[in-house]
Amino acid sequence: MSDDRGIVSTGIYVPRQRLDSEEIESAWGSSPPVSRVTVPAADEDAITMAVAAARDALEDTAVNAADISCIAIGTTTPPLDEEAFVPRVADALALDDDAQLSSATQSTVAGANALLSAAETDGAALAVVADSPHAEPGESGQRMGAGAAAFLFDADGAVVLSDAATRSWDAPGVRFRERGSDEVAELDITTYERETTRDLVSNAIEALDVEPSAASGAALHQPTPDIPHRIARPLALDGEVIERGSVVDDIGDVGTATPTIGLLAAFDACEAGDTTIGGFFGSGSTAVALSFESRREIETGVAAALNDGEFVSYPEALRERGTLGTTGVAGGGAHVSLPSWQRTLPQRYRLVAGRCPDCDSLAFPPEGACPGCRERVDFQHFELPPTGEIVAKTVIGQGGAPPEFIEQQRRDGPFGVAIIKIEVEDGSVRLPAQLTDCDPQEPTVGDFVTATFRRIYEVEDVTRYGLKFTPE
Amino acid sequence: MTDAYIIGAGQSDFGSFPDESYRSLFDTAFDEAVDSIDADFDTGEIDEAFLGTLGVGGRQLGLSGPAVTEHIGLHGVATTRVENACAASGYALRNAVMAVRAGMADVALAGGYEVMTDMSGDHTKWWLGVSGETEWERLSGTTFAGVYAQMASAYLQEFDATVEDLSRVAVKNHRNGAKNPHAHLDFECTLDDAVNAPDVATPLNLYHCCPTTDGASAVFVANERVAHELSDAPIRVAGAGAASGPVGLFQRDSLTSIPASRTAAKRAYEEAGVGPDDIDFAEVHDCFAIAELLAYEDLGFCDRGEAARLLREGVTDSEGSLPVNTSGGLKSKGHPIGATGTGQVVEIFNQLRGEAHVPVTDARIGLAHNVGGSGGGVTVHLFEREEGAT
Repeated sequence: MSDDRGIVSTGIYVPRQRLDSEEIESAWGSSPPVSRVTVPAADEDAITMAVAAARDALEDTAVNAADISCIAIGTTTPPLDEEAFVPRVADALALDDDAQLSSATQSTVAGANALLSAAETDGAALAVVADSPHAEPGESGQRMGAGAAAFLFDADGAVVLSDAATRSWDAPGVRFRERGSDEVAELDITTYERETTRDLVSNAIEALDVEPSAASGAALHQPTPDIPHRIARPLALDGEVIERGSVVDDIGDVGTATPTIGLLAAFDACEAGDTTIGGFFGSGSTAVALSFESRREIETGVAAALNDGEFVSYPEALRERGTLGTTGVAGGGAHVSLPSWQRTLPQRYRLVAGRCPDCDSLAFPPEGACPGCRERVDFQHFELPPTGEIVAKTVIGQGGAPPEFIEQQRRDGPFGVAIIKIEVEDGSVRLPAQLTDCDPQEPTVGDFVTATFRRIYEVEDVTRYGLKFTPE
Repeated sequence: MTDAYIIGAGQSDFGSFPDESYRSLFDTAFDEAVDSIDADFDTGEIDEAFLGTLGVGGRQLGLSGPAVTEHIGLHGVATTRVENACAASGYALRNAVMAVRAGMADVALAGGYEVMTDMSGDHTKWWLGVSGETEWERLSGTTFAGVYAQMASAYLQEFDATVEDLSRVAVKNHRNGAKNPHAHLDFECTLDDAVNAPDVATPLNLYHCCPTTDGASAVFVANERVAHELSDAPIRVAGAGAASGPVGLFQRDSLTSIPASRTAAKRAYEEAGVGPDDIDFAEVHDCFAIAELLAYEDLGFCDRGEAARLLREGVTDSEGSLPVNTSGGLKSKGHPIGATGTGQVVEIFNQLRGEAHVPVTDARIGLAHNVGGSGGGVTVHLFEREEGAT
């Protein structure tokens, strides 16, 4: 690894909704191992959270999306068992077609592998770790959360990934998911699971070329708050160092994203010269240890992100996650074919509008005759800014939604739909879009809203993604 | 060029009829229209048929026009199915008028039909809102209630109007529709009922939305010679205006006006040589309460932002100076999509011949305003009773 290549910027995303442990306790009679968990909304998944975290990392940096040479994504919860998901994230972020895409999945070590991939590439590279694990609601499902972290690597890094070490041996059954299931399973063979995790992770950390005792922060595998401390027992790491990199108590078990978000928390506390250790465990079993050296202070915004949010009830959380069941709507009267949808991705992901070469009128979507001069022109394409003003708005309540949105409404409740006016220097366009992450009754005509990448709807088992808007 | 005249008009009951089909409903409307012709009429004289339907539910999606005309015994008649969403039969009428004026038909049948209430809840959902702009508007999560609700939100923000004013449309139209034996929702409601109904798409509540309805309607259009042979009081089509506009609300310059309504009205007025002040009564497209307010302004009955005042002052009540929707409108009479445009003409025909259930005294000129979708296609027809008739 080159001497000064490292993390120049980071991003964080956690869903707005939180579920307090007391809610879970009142439902089940026993308390979960964490204080609260984040609850992904019905229109969120690992892809949308990855986009949000990556955008956060790119914001306020000199690096343009087109400069990114590589994106590596780690998740245990890709939306589909088979089909690459990184191209969708890359497209949503407007990366170049020739950017190198890589994914790491299938175990909670995935986040470390994504970090290594991005660290080892030349040029600006993104590592994004996003996860949204599910499990049986009465068992480990009680502690599952959702969230994402992103790391932008480039020359002159503020935090340099200085070393990595791996250890693995065959130890099955610690944490696994059967083919076709979306629920993580654990056998609860307590001593076997704890020893496997502890031995692999601590062995990998001992193989690093830094002394654990030199670390000011450690983000270790953390499905529950106690596990990092158990892992650290053979190492000279004190409790305070471990707590700096522990976030599970605030957001729940977010799969491979928990230790990754933990790294952000640890980086925040670092001064120049400080060392941070990451210890990822992946069932099967394998462990990856990483050491980071801070060259200068970096602000990750992780504390603010974790403290933000709004608490929901247990039934709301179950409904939002789809645990209370999903529904389908038979029949079909209107259909947008997949090729038609795919053709409009630049508009749906990045608000690519058109400017008339003859009269400078603006068009969204940029197709058909010019709305100004009515001539059939080849529009000059440009990206609209992601913020606009509500000029008309309604709330679609029970029964009023097109069938494409019945499932979403069932899980997320009534939703707002607005016509949004987006102004640029020489004009404005309007587009219809859903409002999300807000009380649908709240935003009114005249309010400003910002675009966010979400699941829109699903047809023939293919999820279609696009932009919704949230109040500023 | 000959003038075109309405010599007969009829409709089925509008409502929910599980025992009827789109063809049996049209059969009923056709019979009533034939019966309304003053002289004996040989249906073999029909030269052309234009039938409007959206085709809700799929059914006979292809060739549904011939399927209807053959079913009712109009064997061999050239039949064209017209699809322009809720303005399907407004446009069917326009085609019939054009055929007669052009001399290609002495008598043309215009009509429409729709069956909307015989499907499962799931199936119905797929068919509502298929005429909105599909790729963006529908996929932002709206059906028509949502799009008109957006118009209402912008209107209430821009002008001096309230949700209560929207509810006044329901009160007025239900009061009229309660007297119409063909009406779907033939009951009266109070302002309180119409203000405190459950939300459908805010700011629109249940009383601000028309029902989904089964029904059919039929109108005979004849040239001047045949009209006067067959009818004692034929109704002249004095102006036939139509216009298109962007299908999606977001694609329009104004969210509080339907440009195609304005253009269609302008064309109809110009052709007839009259203006809004000359209109004695109107059937306007009140699929949602806000649509009736916009119609007042787009048709020139009042200035922009003044529509609520007309309702508050009772100008458009049946006793007012410009009664609107004496049939009950889409709100009370019902809105069987393809049957609505020519269904409006049934009311106008009856009014101008002194046979309406909610009569307008001394009516000479009536206007019919039929909107497709949220304004992608509009027809405005002006009808005139001949001097001395009735």
